Amino acid sequence: MTAPRLFRIDAWHFPPEIPAPTAFEHIDAGALGVRYPESDHDLAQHLTSSLRNARATLAAMSTDEMITLLGSVGEHFPHTLDDDAIAEVAANSGLSRAMTRETLAGMAVSWNTRALDRLVRAEFPDPRVLDGFVNETDRAVRAAAPGITLHFGAGSVPGVTVTSMIRALLVRSPVLVKPGAGDAALTTRFARELHRADPRLAAAVAVHYWPGGAPAWQAWERELLTRADQVVIYGGNDTIESIRARAPASTRLIEHPHRLGVAIVDPHAAPGAAAEAARAISLFDQKGCVSTHLILLLGDRTEAHRWCGRLAEHLTRTAATLPAGSLTPGELSSLRQLRGRFAMRGAASGDVEIRSPESTDWTVVLAPPEQFEPVGGRTAWVVPISDREGCLEILAPLSPVLQTVGLVGVGDETVVPRCVCEKQPAGKAGIGEGRAVERVADRTGIGSFAEGLAALGVTRIVPLDEVPFPQPEWLHDGSRPLGELVRWCELRSPERA
Amino acid sequence: MPTILEELAETFREWGGDVPGESADPANSTVPNDAVEGRDDAVFRKARAVLQPGTLGFSAPVADHAALCESMAGRAAAALADDSAFDALAMRIHAAQRAANPILRRFWDASRGDPPADWRDIPPVPATAFRDIPIVSGTPEVVFRTSGTTGGGGRRGEHHVVSLDLYRAAARANYYRHLMSGAAQLRMLSLIPSPHNAPDSSLSTMAGCIAAEPEVTSAVWAFRPEDGADIDAVRNAAATEHPVLVLTTAFALVHLLDALGDERIQLPAGSRMMETGGFKGRAAEVDRATLYGRAEHALNIPRSCIINEYGMTELLSQAYDGVAGTAPPLPSRVHRFPPWVRTRALDPATLAPLPPGEPGLLAHFDLANAGSVCHILTEDFGHTTRDGGVRVLGRAKGATPRGCSLAAESFLRATGPAR
Repeated sequence: MTAPRLFRIDAWHFPPEIPAPTAFEHIDAGALGVRYPESDHDLAQHLTSSLRNARATLAAMSTDEMITLLGSVGEHFPHTLDDDAIAEVAANSGLSRAMTRETLAGMAVSWNTRALDRLVRAEFPDPRVLDGFVNETDRAVRAAAPGITLHFGAGSVPGVTVTSMIRALLVRSPVLVKPGAGDAALTTRFARELHRADPRLAAAVAVHYWPGGAPAWQAWERELLTRADQVVIYGGNDTIESIRARAPASTRLIEHPHRLGVAIVDPHAAPGAAAEAARAISLFDQKGCVSTHLILLLGDRTEAHRWCGRLAEHLTRTAATLPAGSLTPGELSSLRQLRGRFAMRGAASGDVEIRSPESTDWTVVLAPPEQFEPVGGRTAWVVPISDREGCLEILAPLSPVLQTVGLVGVGDETVVPRCVCEKQPAGKAGIGEGRAVERVADRTGIGSFAEGLAALGVTRIVPLDEVPFPQPEWLHDGSRPLGELVRWCELRSPERA
Repeated sequence: MPTILEELAETFREWGGDVPGESADPANSTVPNDAVEGRDDAVFRKARAVLQPGTLGFSAPVADHAALCESMAGRAAAALADDSAFDALAMRIHAAQRAANPILRRFWDASRGDPPADWRDIPPVPATAFRDIPIVSGTPEVVFRTSGTTGGGGRRGEHHVVSLDLYRAAARANYYRHLMSGAAQLRMLSLIPSPHNAPDSSLSTMAGCIAAEPEVTSAVWAFRPEDGADIDAVRNAAATEHPVLVLTTAFALVHLLDALGDERIQLPAGSRMMETGGFKGRAAEVDRATLYGRAEHALNIPRSCIINEYGMTELLSQAYDGVAGTAPPLPSRVHRFPPWVRTRALDPATLAPLPPGEPGLLAHFDLANAGSVCHILTEDFGHTTRDGGVRVLGRAKGATPRGCSLAAESFLRATGPAR
């Protein structure tokens, strides 16, 4: 039952001036043994003081220089990941090696110079606002970086924390990163690459794994939450609520809670939708916030039954090329209970169908919408629905957790440049940009439907095949990825007034 | 002619040993509850429409019912330790359940094409299915409900019990052997809510049965959900000359010990304790050895007299990890069911049976569940031992999906159970 420990890693990397730790604790994460420094109050102070000192150095770098520097590291980093490194990251995350490669290949597209340049210019049409005050008509504005950004990373989709680190550094904020246990290997490797690339980055980047929320680490976390200027949190409700309760009011919290992905599919208009859906369900073994769990299928139950068969075929094919990773005993238990429970429901009511191989590679459930619950482990919930507008009614109860809606064959989404399919928050768009908000949704032919989804809290409406790997400049969980990290300062002089 | 359920009850009672006196008085031991109240979800409604009372059950005509009863007559439960005897009875009950319950029949047919060769081939029903559907092969006399909703769609599980008498017989046979040995008179002190306060709790029902035993001279219900443990009642128990049988959940015991602080209560020699259940997120999980050490220190009950009961609402039989007074040290304890239960550890990835010593998901086949369904796949991890024992390791770790995708429980918290 217990997977053998294939690798052991050190899950920390400190700025050069911080002495190497001498006392350690250990944890098993996936099939990886993870060693990390013991909780040390002095270390918390040294780390934060050191990172704060690095802020001025980062501030002295121009945005163009930072884009070039980070982009070069981001481009080079995937090439440093040989088979052994991929195996290590896979063992850590629980993803298969093939899935780890696919995940990192998709993520790395957002790490290169061109992508970072696009991201900065999408958010700051005049990127000089990141370097200093820039004159506007009646004022000057500047996007200032916070002193230290503390990251609480998610555990099992490698690369998410790397992206988060890059974004903070782009706006010139030193980073202190607590990776999730399942993403410690890649995060630590990336920090090493940053350190090698430039001493200014080395001084501004620290990685330190610890078991978040553990009683022995409460004092440590309190210290860091007090000393950090802002905290980026990827995590579940418990994690977020725990940090909210302990962070001082002066520390900004940027929260990315667990989210739910939905696909809306018109199989008549998109015969290839089953393949796209299988990929959206399978990638990251359904552990990403973008992962699709629920599929609303335009059609009757008979059509949905047939489509589930096609989806099952594609899930099987996808599992052959991107094998499912290891599930924990608890995840396996949950999946076994789910399969049996829904087989019983099917036997009782006849309006529930379940398909699965003998293995736990994937599961397809065809069921009424009120029975939906996200399970993971490549489980697709298919709900037949007669018309598009009915989707809003089904999604309404899920409103608090909705994020991405992927469309296939719904509206004419392909005529719209994909990078502008997302809905733009008008409230922030004008700051430092002077760019008008286009009513792009109207051009898709799904304007009123998109409005309905947005009203439910959906923050991304995109073609399903683009769901797994968002473009770098896309909104992140309803916010601008860089905009949420900076604080704007406006300068108004008496003469201007 | 007795039904199979009556025959089973008699068989279980027979195995219970040389039990003085009569069986528990139903009037004292339980408070009847409403078997069908409070559920209006679609699946549940449809299931109930299929399972109309009076049209099913072992008291209704079943093809080989008479033969079944005849074969059961005079059978000693001890004989069920023999695999072939167990299998023969299990398969007959399975056939009766197939005939009585079309939902189970369809589930089994969909799960497995071929008829089962023996009880091991009968697909187990997941424990969480008790939260969705009334799984009953007959007309229920009472409904037991689980205390928690973890992992099952935010609903409490329901075990529709066709024969309360069979439940009492199954429970009594084993608790009597493990908890009441060597005691002519006992005073019962229960930190488990009384049947009056928790009429749909199988654990409270069992506590009510124990309270009605002839050896129990008095029963004190010393825990109320709204007030916690009644410490004065515990202190008063020390004033008696009779040994005290303490019934408690681990959760209630932690609360009692915390409330006692440094106070020590000298319960009379021969006192013993049945501790059961986990903590279900309501208190910090405590190491069992530490808990027993604290209980020994505070209540003067030796660890060899503290017995853990492993049970669940979905199973009408229970397992115990020792006999009060002679229980070995914790590391060497294993739980033992009565001979009408078989337990296997299954590989969670394949559901293939695992050999003794290898941990997996525990699946129990409990003949006392004849009125519902016998083969249950639990969410518990553990392994079997070569001599038929079970070592329970607890809920599987990592049950919450990792990553930034939404976990089911977070989903339910965010969207509410009323969906």
